[in-house]
Amino acid sequence: MNQTTDKAVSAAQAGEVDTIVNFKPAYITMGVMLVFYVGIRIYEQYFGWKAGLDSFAPEFQTYWMNLMWTELPLEFVAFCAIGGYLWKTRDRNIDAVAPREEMRRILTLIGWLAVYAFSVYWGASYFTEQDGTWHQTVIRDTDFTPSHILEFYLSYPIYIICGWGAFMYAHTRIPQFSKRISLAFLMFFAGPFMIFPNIGLNEWGHTFWFMEELFTAPLHWGFVFFGWFALAVFGVARQVLDRVIELSKEYEKDALAL
Amino acid sequence: MTGKSLDIPARRYTGEKARLSRAYDYLILVLALFLFIGSFHLHVALTVGDWDFWQDWKDRQWWPLITPLMMITFPAAVQAVLWPNFRLPLGATLCISCLLIGTWITRFFAYHMWNFFPINEVLPATMLPSALVLDAILMLSNSLTVTSIFGGMAFALLFYPTNWPIFGMFHVPVEYGGAQLTVADIFGFQYIRAGTPEYLRIIERGTLRTYGQYATPLSAFCSALLCTLMYPLWWYLGKAFATTKYVKNI
Repeated sequence: MNQTTDKAVSAAQAGEVDTIVNFKPAYITMGVMLVFYVGIRIYEQYFGWKAGLDSFAPEFQTYWMNLMWTELPLEFVAFCAIGGYLWKTRDRNIDAVAPREEMRRILTLIGWLAVYAFSVYWGASYFTEQDGTWHQTVIRDTDFTPSHILEFYLSYPIYIICGWGAFMYAHTRIPQFSKRISLAFLMFFAGPFMIFPNIGLNEWGHTFWFMEELFTAPLHWGFVFFGWFALAVFGVARQVLDRVIELSKEYEKDALAL
Repeated sequence: MTGKSLDIPARRYTGEKARLSRAYDYLILVLALFLFIGSFHLHVALTVGDWDFWQDWKDRQWWPLITPLMMITFPAAVQAVLWPNFRLPLGATLCISCLLIGTWITRFFAYHMWNFFPINEVLPATMLPSALVLDAILMLSNSLTVTSIFGGMAFALLFYPTNWPIFGMFHVPVEYGGAQLTVADIFGFQYIRAGTPEYLRIIERGTLRTYGQYATPLSAFCSALLCTLMYPLWWYLGKAFATTKYVKNI
């Protein structure tokens, strides 16, 4: 009895020094993302009206097409860099990961997922529905409207990069996700990812089939289908929680092998 | 797992253990909040968006038919995980709240502040009362069948009455250029939409087979029937997405 108490006390003290729960990097990333998107929103307030109404005008090139030619390569580089970095720094001896360290990594993964979720909010909610109102403001003369440049080619790639980062983090750091592929996690990442190629169909359809701007048109339902895959977050959550329960069972004994 | 284990007095989690368990609450709630604002809003905007965006699409026939049908989807799927696994009786309300947060932010900051549509023209419909009833029925009955039948029906039937206080005032008739219009129609005519000619609206135009004033209740009951089917479909879809399977390779 005494021994257990001592151990619990020492574990609690050590817990103060060696924290497991640290969402600070996730909060900072989300904060940066918030500032970035608010900045984008202010930018479009000015340059949507000033330079975004006529895609044949030179100022459209300056303020909108240049934005697109900048963001796309940057996103491609970021996608490769994040995946490459996480793979390069992978845990090569993942079987040896201690329970306490595993718990810490799982919580880091939750930070990644929170960032992913936040980026999905901006892409799938704000910028998607925002496009509905820009559809009613211009008679489109290009696929690359200001709203599309921000929605399809900025906010969607960003959440795909976040999802890819979360997936790769789990795949390279956490034993349960590294040896086998979690089906839920795969759907959770790949479903929203598939929205990106679906944009091709969408742009093609709008360009070559004469369509009025019905937002609920069947052409848009591909986005809906792939959006459902976000529900797989609960599969990931259940897998994580199963593991957390396993790890926690021993908690009183050794405070996650501190 | 005998009666004995219950004799241990309950103790509050403290210190690191408490921090850990709260950290996992984030996993369920904060993460789900942002994710479902995103994905459920995407789903709704692209399936019932036009009815939800514009005042002059909110008619008696199509709007009360399609809105509950498309909005019972994610609530059912999320309930299928949160109730059986965590006994959290808030799946539907969580989804609908997420949706309303997402739509309100966009209606205000994009429709209104960016493109200057008056906010009264782009008010979103609410399903909150329906969602509360759906959650309550699942919590009290703990039964998929009972919730499908009574919850699904209530979800659809409550839609029009609970939205009426918001939207009724826009149905006031106005004589405009010698024609009779509603205030909602005038919004549509007055605040020009580049891509929505009047004929594009999918709204009730009357048929020779419609009797009297019964368009709304008929739509509501049609929707109620479909919702009772949609609910279990999406319940199992939610369960399928929440799989804990692993695969060897992809």
